[in-house]
Amino acid sequence: MKHFITNRRETLKLLGATGAVAALGSWGVPAWSNGGPGHVVVVGGGFGGATAAKYLKRYNPALQVTLVEPVERFYTCPFTNLYLGGLREFESVGHDYRELKDRYGVNVLHTTAQDIDAAAHTVTLGDGSTLRYDRLVLSPGIEIRWDALEGYGEDAAEKAPHAWKAGEQTLLLKRQLEAMDDGGVFILSAPANPFRCPPGPYERVSMVAHYLKTHKPRSKVLLLDSKDGFSKQGLFMDGWAEVYGDMIEWVSLSDDGRVVRVDADRLEVETEFGERHQAGVLNVVPPQKAGWIADRAGVTDESGWVPIKPATFESTQVSDIYVVGDATVAAPMPKSGFVANAQAKVAAMAIVSSLAEREMPPASWANTCYSIIAPGYGISVAGVYSVQDGAIAEVEGSGGISPRDADPDFRRREAEHAVGWYNAICQDTWGTRPA
Amino acid sequence: MIKSVQNNARALVVGALMLAGTVLSSAQAEEISYNHASMLAGSCFNCHGTDGRYGEDSIPSIAGQPAGVLLAQLIAFKRDETPNTTVMNRIAKGYTEAELEALANYFASIRD
Ligand SMILES: Cc1cc2nc3c(=O)[nH]c(=O)nc-3n(C[C@H](O)[C@H](O)[C@H](O)COP(=O)(O)OP(=O)(O)OC[C@H]3O[C@@H](n4cnc5c(N)ncnc54)[C@H](O)[C@@H]3O)c2cc1C
Ligand code: HEC
Repeated sequence: MKHFITNRRETLKLLGATGAVAALGSWGVPAWSNGGPGHVVVVGGGFGGATAAKYLKRYNPALQVTLVEPVERFYTCPFTNLYLGGLREFESVGHDYRELKDRYGVNVLHTTAQDIDAAAHTVTLGDGSTLRYDRLVLSPGIEIRWDALEGYGEDAAEKAPHAWKAGEQTLLLKRQLEAMDDGGVFILSAPANPFRCPPGPYERVSMVAHYLKTHKPRSKVLLLDSKDGFSKQGLFMDGWAEVYGDMIEWVSLSDDGRVVRVDADRLEVETEFGERHQAGVLNVVPPQKAGWIADRAGVTDESGWVPIKPATFESTQVSDIYVVGDATVAAPMPKSGFVANAQAKVAAMAIVSSLAEREMPPASWANTCYSIIAPGYGISVAGVYSVQDGAIAEVEGSGGISPRDADPDFRRREAEHAVGWYNAICQDTWGTRPA
Repeated sequence: MIKSVQNNARALVVGALMLAGTVLSSAQAEEISYNHASMLAGSCFNCHGTDGRYGEDSIPSIAGQPAGVLLAQLIAFKRDETPNTTVMNRIAKGYTEAELEALANYFASIRD
C-alpha cells in the first residue's frame, strides 16, 4: 500500500497549501513507517476476519498476515432475508478472497483451524500442520447451542431450519417457503438476547410476509418471541400494519411467546405455558454462543461468549489473542456485520501499534443496521461508540432510529441506502463488487 | 433525491465555510494523529467504501473532496441543518468538531 505514504505527503502538501497547517501539525508518523516485522494469523474470513486481514496489511504492509478460512466463497447473512423475500438471487450475497490475496498479499489458507495453543503461540490446521503467530485474531462468528432448546438438535435443523448461517440452511428455508400451501402458517421462534443480528428475525418475517403476500396471500406469519421488546420495534410494527395488515402476529415473552420445545418431525412448537402451535414452515432461530474455536483458545467465559479489553479487543483471558465480531461481549454494540468490520479495524490498529511498540490511538466504532420491511421501505438504527470510563459506551446524542413519522420518500431512500451500504461494506471487507 | 441532498448540503457550504473558519481555530489544538484519524474514518468506509471512494450507489463518494467542503457538510449534519438527511445527522453527532475536522482532512487527502 505504498500509496498510503504518498497520500501522507500529499496530505501535507494539500493542507499546507490551503493554509490549514494547524489542523495537521500534529499528525503523527504512521505506524507502518516503523515496520516492526511479525506474523499475524487471522482465523475466520467473515466480516470481522477478512477486514482484520486487510487492515493489518494496510496499517503495516511489512507484516506477514495469514488468513485461515475453510470456504473459498463466503455467503453473507446480510441480505439473505431479501433472497427469501424474492428480492435477490442467492449468488448476489457470495464473495471471494481475491483482493486479499492479490492486492494486499495476505496468505489465504482454505482450511479449518482445529486447535490453538496459546502458550506455544501456535494454530493447528486441518491437515495437522501448525502455524506460529506473534498475534492471533479470532473472528469465528457464532455456534448454535444445540443443547439449549429441547428437541432442537442438528437433525432437527434439517426439517426446521435456523438459516442463521448463510448457505444450505438458507436454501432449505427458501425451498420450504416455496413448497408451503397457501393458507399455511410460517412460524419463527426468536431467541433471548444476546444473539446475532438483533433486528434479523424481524426483517426476516417482513421479507417472508412480502413473499407470502405476493404468492400465498391467505397465509399467516407467527413470530413467537423469548423477549418483551426488540430492535426498532415501533418502526417494524408500524410497517407491518401498514404493508401487511394483520398477516404478521408477534407474541411477546409475557404473552407466552417463549418456545421451550420443538418437534421438528411434526413442525410443532410448544411455548412456556404449554400451548402448541402447528407450522407449515418452522424457522427456529436458536440460542447461540461464540464459534467453537474460541473455546479451544481458552478465551470464552461461562456465558459462552468472549470478554475483551474494550480499547484493543484483546482477550481479557489470554494475551496476544484478539477477538472480534459476533463472538465477543461488546454490548452496547450489537452483533452485526457492520460492527464486526469496525471492531476488526480497531484490533488491527491495536496489533500494529503493539508490534511497533507505539501508543494505540483512542478506539472508535460505529454501527448502522438497515432493515427492509418491503421493497422501497427501509428503516435503520445507528450508533457511534467509544471507550468511556473503561467500558464501551454509545457517544451521547449520537445514533438512534429512523424517525417514526418519516414520509414514504424517506423510507424509500433508506431502502436504497441499505443496498448502497451492502455494496460498500462488501467492497471494504472482501474487495468485491456487485456483478 | 440524493442529488438534492448534495445540493442542499453544498448550498450550506458557503455559510458553513465561514463557520468552519471558527471551528478550525477553536479546535483548541486538540491533537488528532494520522492513525487516530484513520481509525475514525474506518467506520465511514462501511457505507462510503474503503477511503470513501465507493459512491456508485445511492450513497455519495466523499474521497478527494476539499476539506473545507467536507467539514462544512459534516458540521451541518451534526447540527441538523441539512434538510433531507436520513442517517448522516445521527452519525455526525457521534463526533466532536475536532474529530469531524480530522475526518474532513483524512478524506480530502485521498488521491488515487
Ligand atoms: C438473517 C441475518 C441478517 C443479517 N443482516 C445483517 C445486516 O443487515 N447488517 C449487519 O451489519 N449484520 C447483519 N447480520 C449479522 C452478521 O451476519 C454478523 O454479525 C456477522 O457475520 C459477524 O461477523 P463475524 O466475523 O463475527 O462472523 P462471520 O461473518 O460469521 O464469519 C465467521 C467465519 O469464521 C469461519 N470460521 C469459524 N470457525 C473457524 C475455524 N475454526 N477455522 C477457520 N475458520 C473458521 C467461518 O467459516 C466464517 O466464514 C445478519 C445476520 C443474519 C443471520
Ligand atoms: C450508515 C451509512 C453511512 C455511514 C456509516 C456514513 N455515511 Fe456519510 N452518508 C451516508 C448517506 C446515506 C449520505 C446521504 C445523506 C443522508 O441520507 O444522510 C451520506 C452523506 C455524507 C456526506 C455528504 C456528501 C455529499 O456530497 O452530499 C459526507 C461528507 C459524509 N456522508 C461523510 C461521512 C463520514 C465522514 C462518515 C464517518 C464518520 C460517514 N459519512 C459515515 C451514509 C453513511
